[in-house]
Parts: sequence; C-alpha cells; structure tokens
Amino acid sequence: MIQMTDEHLSELLRKMYVNSMEAIFFIDEKGSVVAMNPAAESILDIEVIERMHAGVDDSFCQTCKGYTDEKDQMACSKCYLDYPKGDFSSFQVYLKTRGEGVVPYAASYHTIDEDRGIRVLMLLDLTKQQKTQEMLQRSNLLKYVIKAQEDERKRISRELHDSVAQELLSSLVDLRVVKYMNVEEDVMRKLQQTEVSLTRLLDDIRHLSVELRPSSLDDLGLEAAFRSHFKWIGKNYGLLVNFSAELSAARYGSEIETVVYRVCQEAVLNALKYAGTDEVHVRLCEENGSLQLTVKDDGAGFNMNYSEAKGTGLGLYGMRERAELVDGQFMLNSAPGEGTTVELRIPLSQDNKREADVR
Amino acid sequence: MMNQPIFHYQEEIDGLRDRFQFDFVSMALVQPAEDRFVLTWQFASGNINDRYKRIVLHSGKGIAGIVFKTGKPMLIQNVNTDIESRDLFNYPIIVAEQLKSLGAVPLWDGTRVMGVLLVGYRAENRLNKASFDIFQEGLGTAFGAFCAKEVSQP
Repeated sequence: MIQMTDEHLSELLRKMYVNSMEAIFFIDEKGSVVAMNPAAESILDIEVIERMHAGVDDSFCQTCKGYTDEKDQMACSKCYLDYPKGDFSSFQVYLKTRGEGVVPYAASYHTIDEDRGIRVLMLLDLTKQQKTQEMLQRSNLLKYVIKAQEDERKRISRELHDSVAQELLSSLVDLRVVKYMNVEEDVMRKLQQTEVSLTRLLDDIRHLSVELRPSSLDDLGLEAAFRSHFKWIGKNYGLLVNFSAELSAARYGSEIETVVYRVCQEAVLNALKYAGTDEVHVRLCEENGSLQLTVKDDGAGFNMNYSEAKGTGLGLYGMRERAELVDGQFMLNSAPGEGTTVELRIPLSQDNKREADVR
Repeated sequence: MMNQPIFHYQEEIDGLRDRFQFDFVSMALVQPAEDRFVLTWQFASGNINDRYKRIVLHSGKGIAGIVFKTGKPMLIQNVNTDIESRDLFNYPIIVAEQLKSLGAVPLWDGTRVMGVLLVGYRAENRLNKASFDIFQEGLGTAFGAFCAKEVSQP
C-alpha cells in the first residue's frame, strides 16, 4: 500500500463526502444536524432542509420515523440519538423522504469526535433490496400456496376414493345380495331403484375424486392421467381431444408432473370455453433435453395485443406462474381466426432424471 | 315393465319437431346396468353434428341434469341473457347445437325420472312461457313408455 499524506487523505475524504451515494449526516449531542452531504440533502424533504438552514429546527427527529428493533418495525423507544453507547453499528431506519414517502434505509451510527460529541449517521437506500426480497418472498409464498392446494386436493381426493367410495361400494354389494333373497316384488322394485341411485352416486364420487386430483397422476404418471382426463372431458363436454405422447421416461419429478398436468388442464378448458371448437390437439414429447407440451386448437383465437379477458384473466397468469415454479417456459400464440397454441417447455435437469430413476 | 310395446322414439321426436316447428329435439334416457345407469342423449332430431352422442350427463349438471334431478320442467327463454357466457361451457348441448331458446321436461316412470325431453330453437326468445305451456299441453300425459307427469305414489 502506498503511504498517503494527511493532505491527500483529507482531500479523498472530502471527495467521498461530496460524491458518495451514501447519505452522511453529522449530528451533535442534542440530536441536531451540524452537517450533511449532498446525497443526504437530496433525500430529505425540502421543508425540513429549509428549516434546518434557517436554524428554526435542526433536529434529526423531524425526518426520522423510527428504526426497527426486536419488537417493532418502526420503533422510537430507546432512540439511537439518545443512546450513543448502544450498539448502532448496523440497523434499519425509516425516513420521511422527498416525494417518496417513508423509505427504509440501512444505517450505521457512531461517535467520531468524543470531545465535541459529534457522531456520524450513514444511510444506504434499501428500497431496491427490499423489493427484491419481497419478490422472492412472494414467489416462495406462491410456491407454498400451490403446493398446499395440491396436497389438500390430494388428501381429499384419496379420502373420497379410498374410504367414501369403498364404503359405498360395499353397501351396493350388500344391496345386490338382498335382491337374491326372497323379497316381494314391490320391495324388489324399490331395491332396483336404490341400486340405480347408489351406482350413480358412486360414479359421481369417483368423478369428484379424479377432478380434485387424479390418483393416476401419482400412481401411473402423466400419460395415464391425461388419457383418463381427456376421456372424461369428452364425456362431459363432448370435446374431442387428440392426444399423442412420445415420452422416453414414463415418470418425472412429481412437481413437474403436477405443473404439466395443471397447465394442460387449464389450456384444454380454455379451448373448450372460448375457442368455439369441438376438437383440441395435445402433444406431449421430449425434445432437446426438455419436456414439451403443446395444446393446439383451430378455433376462434384472439388478439394477443388487445387482451380483454373473457373470463377472470387468472387462468393465463396461473399457467405462467406454475411454469416458473419448475423453471419452465410458457408460450402462447394466437390470432383471431387462426386458433390458439399453448406451449410449455420444462428443462429436464439431472435432478429430475434421477428422481425418475429412483421411482 | 313387462310386455312393453316397442316405441320408435326417433319417429316420435321427428314428429314433435314437425308439429311444433322446433329447430332441435332430443331425448336422454337412463342406460341399463351394463352402462352403469348413466344418462345419455339417445335420440336427436334436427341436430347439426353428432357431438351430442359423446356427452354423458350428470345429475344436477346442465339442462338435462337439472331437470333429471328436480323432476321439474325447465325453460331458458334466451340463452344469451339467461346464462352467463363464462358458464356456457357447462351446458354442452346448448353449445354443440347452438341453441338460443329451449325447454326441457322430465320423463317419468312411476316415481322416478327416467329420461329428459329437450326442445329448442336456434333463435332467441322463440320459446317462451306461453309456447312452452302449449307444447307441454300438446305432449299430453304419455310419451312412449313414459309419463310426462309424475304419477303420485299409491
């Protein structure tokens, strides 16, 4: 290191004071601001600066809204100005700023001149970092919500399938046994009617269970789950789904399978609702190390630039969000009169492959 | 149920369509045990495609499902105003046949609804309360092997 002259050093310090992005305040024992650098001036409210310059009120309190302690986000108790002995080497403080309201700053506060009681307060803008953190938190939360929803659906679906439907089935068997016992004809007739109702109820419960979350998705994988789902779509809505699957591995990570299933479900439902067609093509394949899903219809299509949602508008958002959960790419292509194509591409990392092998 | 005369429902509903100038008439029936007693459209007259054949009805869902469950006739005078467009996909027969005005009546076998008869137009407001009443009057009490009205239990 080159030894620097005191002169040189003070020049550098002065430059740092003037040019630094960090706001620097010098504050005396009474909490009055004795000096601040241009960066500090630029964040303070103009009124406050005027009052400080005019000497009406130069306390730092008029701009500080409190700092974060263990108990509160914005606390004023045990103010750092009054407790210079406390450890304020790093803390978060909220300031009323010019035109941007109350903004959080990372701050450090310490005494630099013991004799005259001068301390320095240095601030660094935290908004950007906080936004990043918020986004991260939101995406984590969304992941969590989707997972919780899937888990809950899985639980209810299993319950319906394994316990409610099973019980009903055994009652139905009992009922059939009764039919072969010596019973009067009018009782027989009533029994037959009850059998019809119960059989239909059993089917309804099974449908409900599959609608919530197909157990075949967990037990047999994407292809099987899709085949039964499309069959159900055909029966329920008369929509014909042309499905072709070209998969090397039968299974993928459960998160990936869920995403592909849900995105496809939503895309097909959209085609059913808005495309005005009774045929949809679905293709599932593996290309260049990624799992690819294509849902295509030759229906009405829509103008992508002029997006006035026919439904809630949440469907497309949800598909995109789900795709992001597994680092997938979601693409949508549509034009009026030219149908709609939805594409989902999910990279298959080594992790996913391994998970598939373990199964 | 024994010694049933054979009914030609296709001819029956063709006749109904002719008589009341409907654009579309169809009939859903509960299927036998082999098909798990599901309710499907068996006959149609004036249909523009065969999509109706693919549809399996669910009790309480769609036009026929509601009529089947409640046992009450149902009238939708104008599809465009009475059904929200985002709900329309739940009524596949309306979408498939582009119906705009329609009604449905239950077909009874004793105290059970065994089928649904649906009549409709592809123009708005063609079927209203008055004309639906006239149709039900004209249909009479019996349709094939079924009653158009519930037979009260003895």
